[in-house]
Amino acid sequence: MSALDELKGIAGTLTNPSLQEWKSEGRKVIGFLCAYVPEEIIHAAGILPYRVRAVGCDQTSSADVYMSQVNCTFSRSCLEFALEDKYSFLDGLVFVWSCDNLRRVYDILREIRPDTFPLLHFIDVPHKTTDAAIDRFTEELESFKQALEQTYGVEITDDKLKEAISVYNETRSLLRQLYDLRQSKNPPLTGAEALSVVLAGTVIPKQQYNQLLKKLLEELREREGISDYRARLVIAGGGGCDDPEYFQIMEDLGGLIVNDTICFGSRTFMEPVKVDDDPMAALARSYLNRPSCPRMPEKLAERTNSIKEMVEKSQADGVVFQRLRYCDLWGGEQLDITRKMKEANIPLLTLEREYRTSATGQLKTRIQAFLERLEV
Amino acid sequence: MEERKDIIQSLSDNFAILKGLLEGKSDGVSVFEYLGPYFDKANATQQSGDKLAWINFGVMPELFWAMDMTPIVVDSLTGAISGLGEAMKYIDIAEQHIPDYLCSNNKILLGAALAGDLRLPSIMVHPSHPCDSNMATYPHMAEHFGYPYYLIDMPYFRNERSIEYTARELGNLIPVLEDLTGRKLDFDKLRQVMEYSNQAQEYVLKLNHIRQQVPSPYPSLDMITEYGLLMNMAGTPELVEYLSKKYEWAKGKVDKGEGHLPEEKYRLVWIYGAVTFDMGIFNWLEREYGAVSVSHMNNNWTMNPVEDISTLDGILKGWAQKIENLPMTKECGGPWENYLNAAMALCKDYKADGAIFAGHMACKSNWAIAKMVKDRIQDEAGVPVLNIQLDLFDPRITSAETIKGMLNNFMTTIMENKKGRGSPC
Repeated sequence: MSALDELKGIAGTLTNPSLQEWKSEGRKVIGFLCAYVPEEIIHAAGILPYRVRAVGCDQTSSADVYMSQVNCTFSRSCLEFALEDKYSFLDGLVFVWSCDNLRRVYDILREIRPDTFPLLHFIDVPHKTTDAAIDRFTEELESFKQALEQTYGVEITDDKLKEAISVYNETRSLLRQLYDLRQSKNPPLTGAEALSVVLAGTVIPKQQYNQLLKKLLEELREREGISDYRARLVIAGGGGCDDPEYFQIMEDLGGLIVNDTICFGSRTFMEPVKVDDDPMAALARSYLNRPSCPRMPEKLAERTNSIKEMVEKSQADGVVFQRLRYCDLWGGEQLDITRKMKEANIPLLTLEREYRTSATGQLKTRIQAFLERLEV
Repeated sequence: MEERKDIIQSLSDNFAILKGLLEGKSDGVSVFEYLGPYFDKANATQQSGDKLAWINFGVMPELFWAMDMTPIVVDSLTGAISGLGEAMKYIDIAEQHIPDYLCSNNKILLGAALAGDLRLPSIMVHPSHPCDSNMATYPHMAEHFGYPYYLIDMPYFRNERSIEYTARELGNLIPVLEDLTGRKLDFDKLRQVMEYSNQAQEYVLKLNHIRQQVPSPYPSLDMITEYGLLMNMAGTPELVEYLSKKYEWAKGKVDKGEGHLPEEKYRLVWIYGAVTFDMGIFNWLEREYGAVSVSHMNNNWTMNPVEDISTLDGILKGWAQKIENLPMTKECGGPWENYLNAAMALCKDYKADGAIFAGHMACKSNWAIAKMVKDRIQDEAGVPVLNIQLDLFDPRITSAETIKGMLNNFMTTIMENKKGRGSPC
């Protein structure tokens, strides 16, 4: 099996053979729900970090008893799976102060299912990147580390943290190489494939993932580039964008996604963690300062400018800004993105969506119209 | 083509009219007697080109008064716009630029600014609590219109460390305002402002106690509209004057055993929003059912006065402690227990017969826990809870008539419940 096929297979299911093997060896898996969780700390504990998604969730009836229709379908789908025990393979679940929807999933689980996971932890993340904010985040991460140590009887040393950072930096470097390939005139993989590759890395051991990425990069050097596309697209926007099928719909119509700013995409690996004497402070500094999501209001201009730079670097013809309905943080971003893309003469398509890709007719019509506009 | 208006000028005019209409008709002293001059001052500030600071309900205005700026709490602006029936056009304007599911409180402000009906501020300041919608609009407006913006970053959990951190954030705001105004902070003036603020807060705590009496002497509408005064005018001698008059009047009624209504049949607490587009609902409940709304989350000011106002450090820490415990921030920020405990306390302390969760559709974090809050209050306090889905500022989502229909049914439940209990819980 090619590395690409293997990675695509991993991304398309809730669990995967590597995770099952990991569990069969009696090892722990901890789920986390936001890109602001420094996975390296979990890795350094000898535990597999697992980025929580709700792959295949097609209804939220249990979650809807607690949450409301005004809560986003990503949060409701994750709660649904938790209530249906679909995450029974997890030995812990970690939340951060990412948004109003997810912070309440943590509250609901604490109230109604407090014993589901041996560890249910919440990390406070500052909304600024000042020195005081980094100190505060460092303290929070120290508390998280202690919670892991106490719950699972492990020791997380500085050396283990530095080693974890090194492994993760290698992942980041390999993914950047992968994304560099996508900048060429004839990229060797589609946006849907690239998303699958990134997603696979969030649910299997990183050392194994790095080997697969190296193999993939070799395979892609031999692969024929894609040339039959109508327009090159950058995907910007929000969380919960983890369905390759959503990208596939755009690409089936002739769009080719060549870059992204999504939290299941480039935001997690564009910047390496700079290691120094204090690995925990290094993690805090790096995670707070890396490409941000709208929970960091003071980085607004930087965020929008990065889309413009990405368009230029990727020689993209347009931007698709997608966001989940009822996601306030990305919803507000629309004002700035719309104005600045217009000022920069960058064509923009704004799409509102639900977590699960369904009722695709309207989506196809809008994408088709956008592609036609780009071809004029 | 429709002529552009100046909203603050318009509010100043409207409150003057209200004050005139209510002359001699209000119980005790009227909120509008004081809100009117406040908006006059805000209007004069913007006319003269002096520094107008937009802050939100999570900030408190004392520092701004001490810096000779005029602070205006944007939520009181949007509330007043909604109360005057003018919110919908601004919501519609905003929805051309941002999604409809963002908070109408924020959309009104954005829409009014985009329409050119609001003069822009010299700075906007707000904290990171309690909701995403603020975070999704205030920085974007500042970027869009090009005025300075300051975020008070606050930790998620409340403890000694959070107070230290927030106090530092507040301290860092001082040089920002000094640069903006070209004036150094006069500490003596700040201390004086804090003295007024503390005096006002002493009265607020006493008035909370007064409203807990059975019967309550307080009109439902005064209870809720005072929110605007407290948010905007903390730190001014005018607020102290209003509250001292109000307290003397209310205490006099309690001493005589007089309630606001000839017969107080039921006591209601509002554990979330107020129907801002039609505050007449409070009076309607009094009229139709003899039901007095004795407290409301927005007017649940429970914090103590700032203990140490002799040093800047003491003031900043006290201010930090205060804003952690402001209405809305206290309940909606942080873990859900903050909300539950505050709502439960309202039900118990105010001896409620019923609790109303007027759930603003845009409040994702509150709707996510609405069922849990309702269940716990009903189970542990025995107080029936009504959850209403509405938009507090926009009657097109749930109309006043529909809301009254739900309240009618709820009042039946309360009556039966009270009959079964024999007395208020």
